[in-house]
Amino acid sequence: MNLVDVKNVSFAYSENNFVLQNISFSLQKGSVAIIGQNGSGKTTLVKLLKGLLKPKVGDVFIKGINTKDTTAAKLAKTVGLVFQNPNDQIFKNKVLDEVMFGPLNIGQSVDEARENALRALEIVSLTEKSQENPYDLSLSERKLISIASILSMNTDIVIFDEPTIAQDCWGKTRVKDIVRLLVSAGKLVITITHDMDFVGECFERVIVLNKGKLLLDGSAKDVFSQEDVLSAAYLEPPYITQLCHQLHYDEVFLSPESFISYYESHRQKKETNDAKH
Amino acid sequence: MVVKKTIVVENLKYRYPNTSKLALDSISFSVDEGQFVGIVGKNLAGKSTLCEALVGLVPHFYKGAYGGKVVVDGVEVLNSSIGEMARHIGIVFQNPFTQITAAKLTVYEEIAFGLENLGMDRVEMVKRIDYVLDLLGLYDFKDRNPFELSGGQMQRLAIAGIIAMKPTVIVLDEPTSQLDPQGSEEVFKAVQRLSKEGVTIVMVEQKMEKIAQYADKVMLISEGKMIDFDSPQKLFSREDLENFGVEPPVFTTIAKKLNVKDETTGLYPVTIDEARRLFSL
Amino acid sequence: MARALSLYVETNTFLQKLDPMVKLLYILLSILLPFLILPYRVVGLTFILISCLLLLYGKVFKKVLPLLGFSFLILISIVIIQGLFMQSNRTPAFTIDGLTFYKEGLLYAWTLCIRVLDVLLAFALLVLTTRPSDLIQSLVKRGLSPRFGYVLSSALQIIPQMMSEVGSIMDAQRSRGLETEGNLWTRLKAFVPLIGPVVMSSLLETRERAMALEVRGFSAIGKKTFLFDTEMTLLDKILEWVLGILLLISIIVRIVWL
Ligand SMILES: Nc1ncnc2c1ncn2[C@@H]1O[C@H](COP(=O)(O)OP(=O)(O)OP(=O)(O)O)[C@@H](O)[C@H]1O
Ligand SMILES: Nc1ncnc2c1ncn2[C@@H]1O[C@H](COP(=O)(O)OP(=O)(O)O)[C@@H](O)[C@H]1O
Ligand SMILES: [Mg+2]
Ligand SMILES: [Mg+2]
Repeated sequence: MNLVDVKNVSFAYSENNFVLQNISFSLQKGSVAIIGQNGSGKTTLVKLLKGLLKPKVGDVFIKGINTKDTTAAKLAKTVGLVFQNPNDQIFKNKVLDEVMFGPLNIGQSVDEARENALRALEIVSLTEKSQENPYDLSLSERKLISIASILSMNTDIVIFDEPTIAQDCWGKTRVKDIVRLLVSAGKLVITITHDMDFVGECFERVIVLNKGKLLLDGSAKDVFSQEDVLSAAYLEPPYITQLCHQLHYDEVFLSPESFISYYESHRQKKETNDAKH
Repeated sequence: MVVKKTIVVENLKYRYPNTSKLALDSISFSVDEGQFVGIVGKNLAGKSTLCEALVGLVPHFYKGAYGGKVVVDGVEVLNSSIGEMARHIGIVFQNPFTQITAAKLTVYEEIAFGLENLGMDRVEMVKRIDYVLDLLGLYDFKDRNPFELSGGQMQRLAIAGIIAMKPTVIVLDEPTSQLDPQGSEEVFKAVQRLSKEGVTIVMVEQKMEKIAQYADKVMLISEGKMIDFDSPQKLFSREDLENFGVEPPVFTTIAKKLNVKDETTGLYPVTIDEARRLFSL
Repeated sequence: MARALSLYVETNTFLQKLDPMVKLLYILLSILLPFLILPYRVVGLTFILISCLLLLYGKVFKKVLPLLGFSFLILISIVIIQGLFMQSNRTPAFTIDGLTFYKEGLLYAWTLCIRVLDVLLAFALLVLTTRPSDLIQSLVKRGLSPRFGYVLSSALQIIPQMMSEVGSIMDAQRSRGLETEGNLWTRLKAFVPLIGPVVMSSLLETRERAMALEVRGFSAIGKKTFLFDTEMTLLDKILEWVLGILLLISIIVRIVWL
């Protein structure tokens, strides 16, 4: 059974002004990035997956259950969503209470919930802030708190809406680690992001939305090799991929590491060649 | 010809109320008219606080302990009010969601808000609004309620509202964090164009590749102190950058690992053009 | 979540085009007249009737219904409490289940209800048919400080702002497993713990919004201009005078009378 099935889904906030049109795809465990222009419908799409919005046309199935037949609260055991704006998500006066809120609601005991919350805070390295008021923290910290409060629920599907907003390189590395950790734990990780280097480094599959329609759906390599299509959707490949393209390499590289090893072996080949002549 | 200094900061020290650590510690620098300055540093380094000190929110809004001097467009911030400083300097905040005034019902009127306050002539007002709507790709949304925009669209609106006011100095605090790749490219291009027209730009960014490409000078801040203020090439070539929690552009990172340098300057590549030149075998 | 922070409805009737000052005067009249002119209840009822007709005419009556629903809860409790327990209760009116309601209390509650509804509907008329920025603009043009205009307009927007805040926090809660959909009891249970966070984040938002206003020159010294410079129409002026004079006369009459 698929974890997520989206079947011919269309959605409009107001009468007939459709912001998503006839979207279909299925997802298994693994990592998926959703990319697209501002306003292309990414946030709307994940709110549909989460059951916060219901499709106007078509159906969304989470583990075979139609979101129209259940509530967002019931889906919380299966799907966790980290909101784009942490201010929309955080409402408790103490960090630990905020992170424990989800686990307590889905039926964990207080001790279990506390344990999970503390583990989640450790993952985002904010253990020492557990007694503080989230409103006193900076935007970057609040974003990490909102991530922790979803991690603590230990759901099979985890959705991040632009997790790297306001993060410095340390924070971005943290987020990358979290994605890898979740994938290795056998979960489905769906991430919306505008950071193409992040996509190139961490995601197997990429879904591209353009003006409410599904434009591309494939492996990261496939998607990023189609520079023209991407550019029409106001996107671009990772910087490394762009560099390879400009250097006229045949292969598509998505991460700095793969570029470095390729370049090094070529440089050596060239040096030995030069030495021969 | 003597170039006008639009920002002069002398020995600026600042501590937020009820805290013990200096958020800004002995910062001194100056910026020429029309220069594009990038500010980099890790989270909590003090970048946003410095921005707020330039527009006067520090100390007028936050209070706290303040020392030193900040002069913007010839006006000393300490002796002026935030409202008056708005004639000289504008700021785009880090979080676009809290930047909507809520006094206006459409995107169009929201942009007009600042212009009305400055008493701008109506014909000029309409011209500028149309210009920024176009510049930031917001034309289709001009009659939309600002709270019904997507995150990125809201960020575009925040930028539009300030650019329309055309102050002498524009401060942007991570203004492209939620923009799509071409959107942030467009913002950088627009901002660069403004700086060519003489507007002084101060921009905090985490996108080092873009800062390296567009900024004239880059400032590195760590723990409230200014560590360096130099050309992107020199600053990003520093071997100790990681100690301050900053990763250089990805081109510089790979060049450092592969030890590929420009032979004449001894510096690493920081932009894709420099990288292409140095990496061709 | 729709986060439109305003109750204003664009229906393009003459009410929307009317100068906000006229509507403010109307509110003033509807508050004062039922105190100043003697058949209190008749005057109050007349205003209620006028407001209802205007709201219907402005095609915004539907929007008042939830507001009325909410205030009925309060009004009914007033009727019950005053009818049963008011100090000056002497004459029994009727008895239900052994509980005796008294005439004095009921009459007093009836007066109170009329006043509350009267004021509520008059304010609804202003809020539902006036753009917040028009209100500020109209006040500023008459020489009031823009700050006062903004405070007034945000006071009027408190309800929609809280509602939008409730909306987003409820989304956050049901995303993490708190049931907020379903029967009245479930909703009520979810609603109570919301009050604290809503007040908290509204306050915070107000603070950050104040910064956003300041840096865009809200309190800059000097003359402001307006994007839509609406001139007062002849009708606006006439109505303003008529309402103003009405107010004056009733005050004078009242003073002479005493
Ligand atoms: N509450 C709302 N009411 C009406 N329209 C909305 C609302 N929220 C979003 N929209 C519109 O729906 C479209 C899709 O918005 P959505 O938030 O899903 O975009 P997104 O892809 O997440 O964009 P971004 O990258 O900027 O976050 C946009 O045109 C937006 O203006
Ligand atoms: N409103 C505030 N009250 C108290 N301390 C603050 C406030 N805002 C920021 N700080 C503190 O000031 C320092 C610099 O923060 P900030 O300027 O936001 O950094 P950056 O923008 O570089 O991430 C941090 O130690 C932070 O905790
Ligand atoms: Mg979004
Ligand atoms: Mg900051």
